[in-house]
Amino acid sequence: MYPLIISLFIVPVIISGLVVIFPKSISRLLIIAASFLLSGLSLYLFITINEPYRFSIPHTMNEVVAGADILLLFYFGFVAIIRKSWLVGLMTALQLGALIYLLTVIPASDAVQFIVDKLSVFMFLLINVISSLIAVFSIKYIDEEDCSSFRKKYFMSILFWFIAVMNLLVCSDNMEYFFLFFELTTLASFLFIGFRKDETSVKNALTALWMNQVGGLAILIAMFFIIKNGYGIPTFSNLLAHSSAAGILLPLALLSVAALIKGAQMPFSKWLLGAMVAPTPVSALLHSSTMVKIAPFIILRLSPALKNTPVASVVIVLTAFVFVASAIAALSQDNLKRILAHSTIALLALMIMMGAVGTPVTLVACLILILFHGISKCMLFLNAGILERVFHFKETSDMDKLAETGPFTSFVITIGFMSLLLPPFGAFIGKWFSIETLGSLATHQKLLGSLVIVAIACGGAVLSLLYFKVLGLLITRSGNQDKIKFEKLNLFYAIPIYFLIGIMLLSVLSFPFLMTTCFVPVASQILVMPIEIATIGWSIHIGSMTLPIIPLLIAFLLVPVTIILAMLIRFKNVDRAKEYMCGEKIDYSFSSFYFSTDKATPYFSVIGILFFVALIVVAIV
Amino acid sequence: MKLNAFRKKSPWILHYNAGGCNGCDIEILACLAPKYDIERFGMINTGNPKQSDILLVTGPVTKRSRERLVEIYSQMPEPKVVVSCGACACTGGVFRGMYNCEGGIDQYIPVDVYVCGCGSRPEQIIDGVIQALAILEKKTKELEVSVRLKNEAVKEGTQLNRRNIAGEIKKLITIEKN
Amino acid sequence: MNDLVVPVILIVLAPLIGGLVYGFERIVKARMQQRWGPPLLQPFYDVLKLADKRKMIVHSTHAFLGIMHFVSLWFALAVLLLGGDLILVIFLHLLSTSLLILAGYSTRSIFSHLGANRTAISTLCYEPVLILFAVSVFIQTGSFEVASIFSYNQPLVLKMPLAFMALLMILPIKLKKSPFDIAEAHQEITGGVELEYSGIFFEAIYTAKWLDYIFCYTLVYLFGANDPLVGMGLVLFVFLYINALDNSSARVNYKQMLRFSLLVALPIAFINLLLTILHLL
Repeated sequence: MYPLIISLFIVPVIISGLVVIFPKSISRLLIIAASFLLSGLSLYLFITINEPYRFSIPHTMNEVVAGADILLLFYFGFVAIIRKSWLVGLMTALQLGALIYLLTVIPASDAVQFIVDKLSVFMFLLINVISSLIAVFSIKYIDEEDCSSFRKKYFMSILFWFIAVMNLLVCSDNMEYFFLFFELTTLASFLFIGFRKDETSVKNALTALWMNQVGGLAILIAMFFIIKNGYGIPTFSNLLAHSSAAGILLPLALLSVAALIKGAQMPFSKWLLGAMVAPTPVSALLHSSTMVKIAPFIILRLSPALKNTPVASVVIVLTAFVFVASAIAALSQDNLKRILAHSTIALLALMIMMGAVGTPVTLVACLILILFHGISKCMLFLNAGILERVFHFKETSDMDKLAETGPFTSFVITIGFMSLLLPPFGAFIGKWFSIETLGSLATHQKLLGSLVIVAIACGGAVLSLLYFKVLGLLITRSGNQDKIKFEKLNLFYAIPIYFLIGIMLLSVLSFPFLMTTCFVPVASQILVMPIEIATIGWSIHIGSMTLPIIPLLIAFLLVPVTIILAMLIRFKNVDRAKEYMCGEKIDYSFSSFYFSTDKATPYFSVIGILFFVALIVVAIV
Repeated sequence: MKLNAFRKKSPWILHYNAGGCNGCDIEILACLAPKYDIERFGMINTGNPKQSDILLVTGPVTKRSRERLVEIYSQMPEPKVVVSCGACACTGGVFRGMYNCEGGIDQYIPVDVYVCGCGSRPEQIIDGVIQALAILEKKTKELEVSVRLKNEAVKEGTQLNRRNIAGEIKKLITIEKN
Repeated sequence: MNDLVVPVILIVLAPLIGGLVYGFERIVKARMQQRWGPPLLQPFYDVLKLADKRKMIVHSTHAFLGIMHFVSLWFALAVLLLGGDLILVIFLHLLSTSLLILAGYSTRSIFSHLGANRTAISTLCYEPVLILFAVSVFIQTGSFEVASIFSYNQPLVLKMPLAFMALLMILPIKLKKSPFDIAEAHQEITGGVELEYSGIFFEAIYTAKWLDYIFCYTLVYLFGANDPLVGMGLVLFVFLYINALDNSSARVNYKQMLRFSLLVALPIAFINLLLTILHLL
């Protein structure tokens, strides 16, 4: 087991180095081989690991980690100086000060630094499979980018190195290591966003850097308070073991702050929106499928301790507010990637809310949302990349000819949006669970529960409106030719898309199986208590909730199959007529509806800041 | 099963004004009002050629409206009838011989019932529509041709493409004055 | 098995019952206007006439999505009548509306696009209220299943009067009647999404409207579920109310509709939820 887990860390690092050295043709083969290897490994680990597997590395590595931390912070300081950004400099100085102070007070110990439990292997599966598909996609994407060939190799190399860091992040128990990997993902984000080296990219990269540094600072302060309160070494398992001690709330609140910043909740959402200037595989990988999933991951780790505390209540209300606010803010956007970014923020808010509530069914809902949202958003972002490269546009208002020139792409984007919205897809089921269980929350915490339900209902409705607005542009056809000619996509673009559609459809069909083998065991291990799941008749009962299978199967026939058939079907022996325009013969061109939300958006940041302050205050008091 | 009998039970009307003075239009709309109430025959004034059976046309066909008239006629699915209401639609009425009219809609589309009157009364219109219903029951589902519907519906494979069935109308037929 | 027979018969006969309801409604509206009105079976004459027209479509995607809208609405109604989960029923209804919206967007017709835009905005108006209604039902009866409402000990309208009021406010939006029939404004956008359908394909949309009536009136019936007399009384009251409102009010534009439903109907539903949670009702 040990060599398999270690290889999940070492293989990406090796590949990342080899890609820079070897020429393009060999490195392509290497990347494809590595993708298969990583996905296979993570799948195997997911199936075999049942009990948490602890392992530690020699304690001299602690010194190496501390040294790497300091080197990293010096690099950030260097960036602050050459880019003349005082915010980055301030954050770096604060972090450096806190880190050095911590290094002097950390007690030495022999505890294990890495724990691979079912949550970690679940995240391994998500990270490695999605990253492999994106790596294959970006072989071709980065090839067509306008930069030197060394920079292209540099891109692929950082991509793989990022995969290694993510793998290490989700299984590290020691918070010092966790902080290093957290800041390394910040570094990766910074390097990727600034990849294109124009003025907006550099500015947005610096914004992302300092905002994420605030998160890192929060982790350091949390570690400080853990040591000060006398819980021993700062590790997650230690924190959870002291979950009923006095003064536990402050470290929990600070770690939640770090999670909320990584998940780009308001008022820290600017970095994610600005990150969309990065190349599209980066947006797919970092900013929708893997890196921002650290946010619900942290909350899930902390959930046994966080449950039913005032900190959890503030987090729940904050994320409910962000869910509605980012859905509303998305309505005024035109750029497809920005719309997807806002929708990501909204769904992340939902996931964090589910994690913070902490009951068995909400944890299952959170896990379902994490997995299916990762798949759907990856597919949507990869298609945004295809739109950029093959069809050459980025704004949604240009999409109205897409159904004729690129029917396959418009069909895939339709399936992607529908999967976030409707039964029987996973993301819908996550939302459904959330509404149902918040109903039961409302019986205990009355005002909180009812406000949250209203927020979810309204936010869900606004998100549906948003998706309809984009879908409307995608599906418009002129009817002049009835025959649909599918466009030819490059193999490197097409194969990840086919894979993702296959995974999505398969997961819908095998949903009951996934529930029993995948989601429920992970959730029960987080809670350290078994969750009853039983299949009675034609429905699945989890905890106190029932999931009827037959309506979902029929909905499967109705939604994806309908959309596929709607593209392919041709009625014979039926006349074709022109659209009715009061008898005119002119061809109209028209676009979608637009909302302007500029009056409301400044208030969102203010309210977000108030919530964050409330979070800390509640923890101290 | 013969569904012909149901054609007269639920005739849906499309009303088109081909450049008239609105006198006949007001009388047609009065038919829908409570005093004359044609909804008791199941008639609805749909605004949409694709869902209607009866085309009620008023007004002499002016230059601007003739292409639109033929376009709307071609978008109605068979079986359909055309009722021309008022003297202008039948023969050109008071506008016959003017530079922009051609004297009645039967220069363009096949007409089934002519309702006369200059402002046709609602009773005349209802009578005309009822007679049109009797004709509707006997019609087939084949496309009819007329003077200006020269462009045939294009046969593509097993379906007819009706998009260009009403071609561009170029020449104005002059009416001999006698 | 016995308690499945009645719902299954209702589901199979739903279009017929819906047609009778629609026909009756046209008569009631006409009598309110001091007219005579069409015969009761008029909707069926319409359907049989439409079946006899020459088939004509704009393109196959549009026609197919229209047919699937009808099928999925029938399915949502089936799940509701079989006593399924209320939130699932609301989302299945959203599914069928989204197929209609997609159908509206799929042609290059300006009226169709406008109708689809407005239908999308009207889903934003009524969906939160329905979800709040479902959650209030859950808190009262302890389960989201429709079947549990039938076994509850009191008519729900006594326990959730504010939710009933909120439902009355959004029913015109759902049924596309004045003052909220902006999605199907006949004089303005000539029918919106229904515009490009003809003949037998229009029958699918036409019949879907009847099923929508059955769906909405079933939701109203749920408010008096455990006593059939109270239920039918409520349905009759709402029927007369909807038609009187339709005959007497003018159309509002979409901004006013949004403002009304989000600032009036939604707070009323929310207050109802709060009162239910605090056990004041």
